[in-house]
Amino acid sequence: MSKVVEISPTTRHEGHSKLVLKVNDAGIIEKGNWCSITPVRGVEKLAIGKTPEQVPKIASRVCGICPIAHNLAGTEAMEASIKCEIPKDAKMLRHILQLANRAHSIALHDILILPDLYIPGTEVKVNPFTPEEPVRSVAKRIQRIREIGQTIGQIAGGECIHPSNTRVGGMYRNCSEQAKTKMYDLAKEGLVLAHQQAEFMIAVLRNYQKRDWVDVGGMKVPLPKDLGYHDQGYLATDAFYGSSSLEECPSWDINRFKEVRPWDWYMGEMEISLEEPKYPVGGTTKMGTKVNPQMEACTGIPMYDGQPVEVGPRARLVTYKNFDEKGTVGQNVAREMEYQDSFYEMIDCIDALNPSGKVMADFVPDGDGSLGWAANEAPRGTDVHIARVKDWKVQYFSMLVPTTWNFATCSAALVGAPWQLAEVVMRGYDPCVSCATHMIVLDEDNKLVAQKLIQ
Amino acid sequence: MLYPEIVIVGCGNPLFADDGFGPAVIEEMQKLTLPDNVKVVDAGLGGPHFIFTLLNPEVTKKLVIVDIADFGADPGTIAKLRVEDLPPGSYRDAHSWDLAEPLQRIKDQIDITIIGCQPAKVTDPEFELGLSETVQKAIPNTIRVILETIGVDYGTTIKRLQEERQRGTAKSCGSAETS
Repeated sequence: MSKVVEISPTTRHEGHSKLVLKVNDAGIIEKGNWCSITPVRGVEKLAIGKTPEQVPKIASRVCGICPIAHNLAGTEAMEASIKCEIPKDAKMLRHILQLANRAHSIALHDILILPDLYIPGTEVKVNPFTPEEPVRSVAKRIQRIREIGQTIGQIAGGECIHPSNTRVGGMYRNCSEQAKTKMYDLAKEGLVLAHQQAEFMIAVLRNYQKRDWVDVGGMKVPLPKDLGYHDQGYLATDAFYGSSSLEECPSWDINRFKEVRPWDWYMGEMEISLEEPKYPVGGTTKMGTKVNPQMEACTGIPMYDGQPVEVGPRARLVTYKNFDEKGTVGQNVAREMEYQDSFYEMIDCIDALNPSGKVMADFVPDGDGSLGWAANEAPRGTDVHIARVKDWKVQYFSMLVPTTWNFATCSAALVGAPWQLAEVVMRGYDPCVSCATHMIVLDEDNKLVAQKLIQ
Repeated sequence: MLYPEIVIVGCGNPLFADDGFGPAVIEEMQKLTLPDNVKVVDAGLGGPHFIFTLLNPEVTKKLVIVDIADFGADPGTIAKLRVEDLPPGSYRDAHSWDLAEPLQRIKDQIDITIIGCQPAKVTDPEFELGLSETVQKAIPNTIRVILETIGVDYGTTIKRLQEERQRGTAKSCGSAETS
């Protein structure tokens, strides 16, 4: 008979989410629901009537971890709507900023997943904060990569967390010749470290993959070879940066996308019938508690060609680099493979950057109300912002962020895994839940159903 | 080095009215010319995972955090707090593996001061832009307290800010009395 277990809140990611899992007698997940419980906010509503300069700044504040992706996607959605082409050097600065952010983000994700993994040849799980070798030097390397990412981002974007340099129509200012050299030196140093770090992480991940069982809170849990497999397909708009026109990326057509209500996808009211006090941290939800993912889930379900899809590093590698490994380990390996790529591409962009070139478009139109969109390949996947600007006022704005895409896909990927490993599968998506939670929802007939899901 | 000897961080979300106090103070401070060993950063919501976990105690000696804090005073009042004064869970980094608070990890190696301002309204989870008037008026005094904390004499600007304070536009806390 099936039992219901709930892990709430999930840990080691940004925001609040939970896992509600229907499991069989052997503890294998029959149906999994991963849902956001961060309350719905209304950034789309707040944006209406503001200037195109304000909205990307507002958008970048919805989340503590991906302001750069939101800032860039927001700005480019405005540019797409007003039909403004930005100079090449402005583009290069944005590419550098975005890639630096990606390098920083992968390093951060390493810290998150390391405690799930084992030091090869031992039964010891990795504690990234231990002062002992070999982990100590890995942690130092991770910190240095984060530092390099932030420093380059700061030079290209003006500030390292909330970039102040982006403007609708280009960038506020170009960097100096010295700053370019500094970015170049840092990127070269970062490339070497990224190589080492990716090699280390992939070795540790492969070691994990070969195990028959893993330890979770003192429980010996069998490790299935198909952990995290799903058949939902992938979506990516570019190997590195993103796209804001059908011409650049014909496979991302906004008309093939729609968003549906969560209650068609999530399970209804249930009672918790399995409780495990040993599960880290602090045990699972108490027996007898009522749960209702349909009503508690705070996001809509975005679909592409009628199905939820995966976005993120593996989606990019599958689409553009013939990567074919499935499952949670494959996903983490793909993320590590993006390490070096992001530095190689960054070096190319720095090479191409002309510090004395102009970075602002000669003419920035006021907008005629056409629909514009920009998909930015954020570290976690495709971050799509949609905007309509008329007479320098935003008439419509919407954000479709990476983790929203991944909620339903990851829920499908949970099936067949032991419930104790559900969080391991979830972390493979490097979720960022707080920005995944603010959507306008369409029903399956493309009708506007709800502006807000929580009453 | 990304973060120098003295780091001033504004935390909070401008989308929740007075929660934007930290970033607003930083915006004003970025107009000042400060010594090379000082860096001011608008951290937004990213303080824990972008900054507090990345400070190197061998380089950074002083950390000043500007944020709102509820200590039961009149809105716009500012207070200097220590890490020990913070309630459990403050600046929790969702990215740390044991949910440890990153400030607890570094507080013995780095001198941390939190400058908290009593908010008038925080609209979480609803969005609202702009600080309330009383909190807006606390900005000049907060900057003066920060500069005093990091030992920077900003000459005439300080004097002007002091005058404003004496005119009663902003209240100061006991520990920040002028010399």
